[in-house]
Amino acid sequence: MADRRYETLVLIHPEQGEPGSKELAARIRTLIEEQGGTVSQVQEWGLRDLAYLVAKQRRAFYVLFEYRATPRALQEIERNLTLMDPVLRFISVRQAENAPPAALRPVRRPERDEAEVEEEGGEDVDLMGSEEMT
Amino acid sequence: MARERSGGARPPRRRGMGRRKVCRFCADKTMLIDYKDARTLGTFLSERGKIIPARITGTCARHQRRLTIAVKQARTVALLPYTTVYP
Repeated sequence: MADRRYETLVLIHPEQGEPGSKELAARIRTLIEEQGGTVSQVQEWGLRDLAYLVAKQRRAFYVLFEYRATPRALQEIERNLTLMDPVLRFISVRQAENAPPAALRPVRRPERDEAEVEEEGGEDVDLMGSEEMT
Repeated sequence: MARERSGGARPPRRRGMGRRKVCRFCADKTMLIDYKDARTLGTFLSERGKIIPARITGTCARHQRRLTIAVKQARTVALLPYTTVYP
């Protein structure tokens, strides 16, 4: 069977933490390869805010896999993904053969996180303080 | 003008003023419709998270079809909201 170009975006439970999500990403990668797929790119977007609650979580780790596989392999990959508990959700999309590879995106857009905003505020205050000192 | 020459048919009158809307994806060929690009897709959503009709945004039919698919894909992976008003 001819293989096709796919990409799968996986949402990993935030409880896994950064190392846990990386480990799981590696596991999914080997899963794809075990099914005869060839992974061309793995993008870790990191912890992102969700647009709505999923499994009572506000955030999740996003990992994107770009690979070639047969339709049957994809079926098996998807079946295995549904069995992974820390995987909240995923979407597989077939890519056109001539489509450019997914661009590395600066996905970490300035998150409107209260903690980060406070930190920024703190830096400003520090700068002003140092100016006054000199 | 070409319109006047075409045998007395009245030129189609545009109601109201304002410029003709052009499909943004046709105008900029480098712009791709991608479900992962939540920021671009977000500009085609209303405040409530609904897809804005093509007659408002001026998107052509072909691109509007692709757009709706991309928005729905983005919604499944929580990149875009189904709604911003929660029951």
